[in-house]
Amino acid sequence: MSKIEEKSIDLATQEALQKAQDENIKTTWDRLDCQQPQCGFGQLGSCCTVCNMGPCRIDPFGEGAQVGVCGANVDTIAARNLARKVAVGASAHSDHGRDVAHTLALLAQEGEHKHASGTHTHNYTIVDTEKFHKLAKEFGINPENKSKEEIAKELSKKLLEEFGKQEGELAFCQRAPQKRQQLWRKLGLTPRGIDREVVELLHTTTMGVDNDYKNILNTAMRCALSDGWGGSMIATEVQDIILGSPQPIRGKVNLGVLKENYVNIVVHGHEPVLSEMAVKAANDPELVKLAKSYGAEGINLVGICCTANEVLMRHGVPVAGNFLQQELAIVTGAVEVMLVDVQCIMPALHEVSNCFHTKLITTSSKARFPGVMHIDFTIDNAYETAKAIIKAGVENFPNRDKQRVSIPKHEMDLVAGFTKEVVFNILGGQYRSTYQPLNDAIVSGRLRGLAGVVGCNNPKQTHDLFHTVLVKELIKNDVLVLQTGCSAIACAKQGLLIPEAAKLYAGKGLQEICEAVGIPPVLHLGACVDNSRILTAASHVIAQGGLGEDLSDIPAAGCAPEWMSEKAITIGLYFVASGVYTIFGASPFAVLGSKNLTNYLTNEIEGVVGGCFAFSDDPLEMARLMIAHIDKKRQALKLKPAMY
Amino acid sequence: MKSLSYDVKKCLGCKSCEIACGLAHSLTQDLFKAVKEEKLSLPRKNVYAVKGKNFPLSCRHCDDAKCVTACMSGCLVYDQDKGMVMHDESRCVGCWMCVMVCPYGAIRPDLKTKIPLRCDKCKDKDEPACVKACPTGAIIWKETL
Amino acid sequence: MKQFVIIGNSAAGIAAVEAIRSKDKTAKITIISNEEYPVYCRCMISYYLAGEVKEEKLFYRPKDFYQKNNLELILNKKVSRVDPKKNRVVCEDKTQVGYDALFIATGARPRFPAIPGIKKKGIFGLRTLKDAKEISSLIPVTKSISVLGGGLIGLKAAYALRKRGIEVKVVVKSKQILSQMLDNPAAAFLQKRLEDNGIELLLGQDVTEIIGEGDIQAVKLGSGKVFGCSMVVVGKGVEPNIDLVKEAGIDCKDGIIVNNLLQTNIPNVYAGGDVCASSHALWPIAVEQGRLAGLNMAGEKIIYDGSLGMNSIEFFGLPVISLGIYKTKEGDAAYEELKVCDPKENTYKKLVLKGNILVGVILAGKIKNSGVFLRLIREKIDLSSIKDRLLADDFGCPDILDLVKDKEKVYV
Repeated sequence: MSKIEEKSIDLATQEALQKAQDENIKTTWDRLDCQQPQCGFGQLGSCCTVCNMGPCRIDPFGEGAQVGVCGANVDTIAARNLARKVAVGASAHSDHGRDVAHTLALLAQEGEHKHASGTHTHNYTIVDTEKFHKLAKEFGINPENKSKEEIAKELSKKLLEEFGKQEGELAFCQRAPQKRQQLWRKLGLTPRGIDREVVELLHTTTMGVDNDYKNILNTAMRCALSDGWGGSMIATEVQDIILGSPQPIRGKVNLGVLKENYVNIVVHGHEPVLSEMAVKAANDPELVKLAKSYGAEGINLVGICCTANEVLMRHGVPVAGNFLQQELAIVTGAVEVMLVDVQCIMPALHEVSNCFHTKLITTSSKARFPGVMHIDFTIDNAYETAKAIIKAGVENFPNRDKQRVSIPKHEMDLVAGFTKEVVFNILGGQYRSTYQPLNDAIVSGRLRGLAGVVGCNNPKQTHDLFHTVLVKELIKNDVLVLQTGCSAIACAKQGLLIPEAAKLYAGKGLQEICEAVGIPPVLHLGACVDNSRILTAASHVIAQGGLGEDLSDIPAAGCAPEWMSEKAITIGLYFVASGVYTIFGASPFAVLGSKNLTNYLTNEIEGVVGGCFAFSDDPLEMARLMIAHIDKKRQALKLKPAMY
Repeated sequence: MKSLSYDVKKCLGCKSCEIACGLAHSLTQDLFKAVKEEKLSLPRKNVYAVKGKNFPLSCRHCDDAKCVTACMSGCLVYDQDKGMVMHDESRCVGCWMCVMVCPYGAIRPDLKTKIPLRCDKCKDKDEPACVKACPTGAIIWKETL
Repeated sequence: MKQFVIIGNSAAGIAAVEAIRSKDKTAKITIISNEEYPVYCRCMISYYLAGEVKEEKLFYRPKDFYQKNNLELILNKKVSRVDPKKNRVVCEDKTQVGYDALFIATGARPRFPAIPGIKKKGIFGLRTLKDAKEISSLIPVTKSISVLGGGLIGLKAAYALRKRGIEVKVVVKSKQILSQMLDNPAAAFLQKRLEDNGIELLLGQDVTEIIGEGDIQAVKLGSGKVFGCSMVVVGKGVEPNIDLVKEAGIDCKDGIIVNNLLQTNIPNVYAGGDVCASSHALWPIAVEQGRLAGLNMAGEKIIYDGSLGMNSIEFFGLPVISLGIYKTKEGDAAYEELKVCDPKENTYKKLVLKGNILVGVILAGKIKNSGVFLRLIREKIDLSSIKDRLLADDFGCPDILDLVKDKEKVYV
């Protein structure tokens, strides 16, 4: 078993892990040890469980079976396995998008209902009217002289139709540069309907359908694009409308945000619609009073994972940690309730919460545990549900074993909430909202380029190490880094998401920009579903002019250094299909059993869509590869070399 | 002296031992790199399935080894202390005499390198890679008398 | 102190010496060889000739082998006769060595056909390291060579010389190569592999004359056809080196006759290896015979259960193994043949059964489980219960666990 310092670079995590170890509580790292060595066929993608003639596996070392029972070779098998993961990843984000769009639809209905009866109080409303109208126009709805309920009704219908459409093109594809749109059409990559692309991709991977790994990849790319330029983008846009568009906001991060004398409520998962209400309920005077009656000083609501990112950037709610810290938050012994919605919620939470007084509460009918308290959340009972959950937490406070409470003292400041609207407008100053200064900075070479560093944690790699080493190296080389998800939290904990970081870590050019505008060198754009914001922002960069005609022309690169989720694969693939060079760390996609597919993904595909994958297990090498790619793109644009 | 034996009831036929064996004898010792090596490192262990049971099979290091008698280049020697048939690859000419006579079919002729491959109990390691790799504990590594 | 004499310093001789030493640490052991080298592997000289192994690798025992085992080694000396009455051997130079027990492992020598020109310079067998060295020394001045005989020695020589870049023609009397080892289809497989690699094979032909004034210039075939070459290697079988026992009263018929203790008709004279009658000329067999003879000379009584014809060869990446009876007469109802042939994969597998007992096998391309078949042949196992499995690609030792004599120890 490796040492604690090798498991995480984060001091709070190390402390909590030590506590877990002392109390003999098993965490993800222990379970990883128990899984060693992990199956080589699985790691290489050469195991096929598609049909009942199998399971089949292809011998990677020579003379054993080279085809499955059906005759599928390792290229087909690995491509199908990858494609199925893409379908699942796309489904996760897109289903999230559907739920949010559905909320908008219900909001319109409830509005009507209210008009009729005049008594019902609904919990959600249109918060960002400007964006609401803009989006309505994008879908051909004229918002003039219409009530917000009417617009919401029409818009939500259009949005939900994006999921069920059979033909045509997803509306948000229009946001991509013309040249990109044409390329997609030429290659047959333009997604038609979000659900259709997932279903079609799954169909092609069943026994005896598509045996051409390149064609499977094509179908997979179309599906991934239906997430990035469809489901995910819908989720982001509608969340901004009904929950509010984030603005730069200061917050705090790491396990130290849990407070010893407070009722601690942790929200964890991905969909912020309920958490939004939990934030409000945590401030409910009635509940605060109840908490005080139990001897607490108040109610402290914090987040984990992407739900945390969502409530952080809209309300400044503190972030207790990223993916690998979910169990450790409970291990502090100070958590009364962990409220979970969907995605990245470790099944192990139940076992860990059983070691403490902590109540784990599931809220989505899609995501339940046997034997765990479930309070079903629907949007018409949103606030009441949230209150009930917070109340359960408050009432659980007396059950806390104070002897076992140990909260690591570490916490860090951060600035979050740089959406595509504010990221670059801020560069132009409040009254001159334009992308020109950003483009100018890149053209002049003050900024070398842009990098998206995103994705999960993975215990196969020292927790947070790759994120921070990579990001530090990038900003040192004057690359402005855009972050989402657990990667953003990782870097925030290491103090990279505050303006002061520019002086400490950024290269001279980036430093000049950060100081002039007052931004951190690393910008927090939101949750992992908000990677769509990067796509839109990049499209704006192209529209502004001077940096080429297509997304693949921009001096930019992406990376998911510690990925683990299927969603990450889908995100990676929609980035590549949008023309972005994208590196994956942790361990490569499970495709290396197929030399052909590996070569296609890491090489040939660049000639097709302008972006490709690279795999690396060294963060400095990742940085070198990304910088080299950025410089290659600068050269192609005939830009001056980086200034410093 | 330790040797390998197998609890056949526990073997699921997952072939993890095969992969671990190939990997343990690769140059790079890294799965993702090993599958790209020019001369693939072939597993010295294979799992056979007979009548619903699975049998991992590799060199048993017989003390009256037929392969040693058959070897004409002198590259095979039975080492009494180690309880192992030692193979000096530098002397081997790939005549396949050892393959011809092995009663267990446990020697794998690597036609590309002209070297017969066999279990070397992972030489200096305290436990062979296949033992570590077996997810069900079907491969037993223990002292034999 | 007992005195053992071993004539012959190769596979059988060395195995006998080691066996004696394993039983008797003090006895005097003398090895007499008419060659000039310490023990080397005869089977490997074609690899040496091909340039695939260096000379030092031919010596398959360490340099201090004789010293460490306290052996007296006499090289470059030919034993001219055995004198069982006086328990001694007499050498060409009239020196004599007495023995308590004698092991004759003098091997065999190439058989040269009686055709005009066969005594010319530039005609070689390929049996000894000396032969290989002499051939090797002529390679720089040799462009083309004729090999007489399509047996193992002939083809090994052809392969080695082709590897050295020489044009090679092999003249084979029978309609197939390796008729002593393979059936037609397997031979055809191998033939194609040899031809693909530039060795010319002339089947159903015989050389009737070797032409040349002084040096060789050409060979002439029975058909009258003549083609040029400057060297000839003869691989037309061997004859046992039994001159030394001709007058000794030791029973011979195409070799020395031994009983199942490897004893000749004279109790303290043993023989083993290629010099024996009806023995199969093969390294592992010679070793086994030498080992058992040695043990028996040292006082054991171990029965030798007879040799089985078998061989393993590989040319240009195609390995072929044959075991036991590899060919049956067409229409012979006593035998049953099971075959599978995949020319695309270059694999061929033939099993010969007699009353559900395996008696012979040919494997080409995939040879991994050859030893399992060998075991089935040796143990004469009734295979009726697994007959349908025998040709399967994944047939292996686990298939026969219930059938073999030994109790399984590894699978619990």
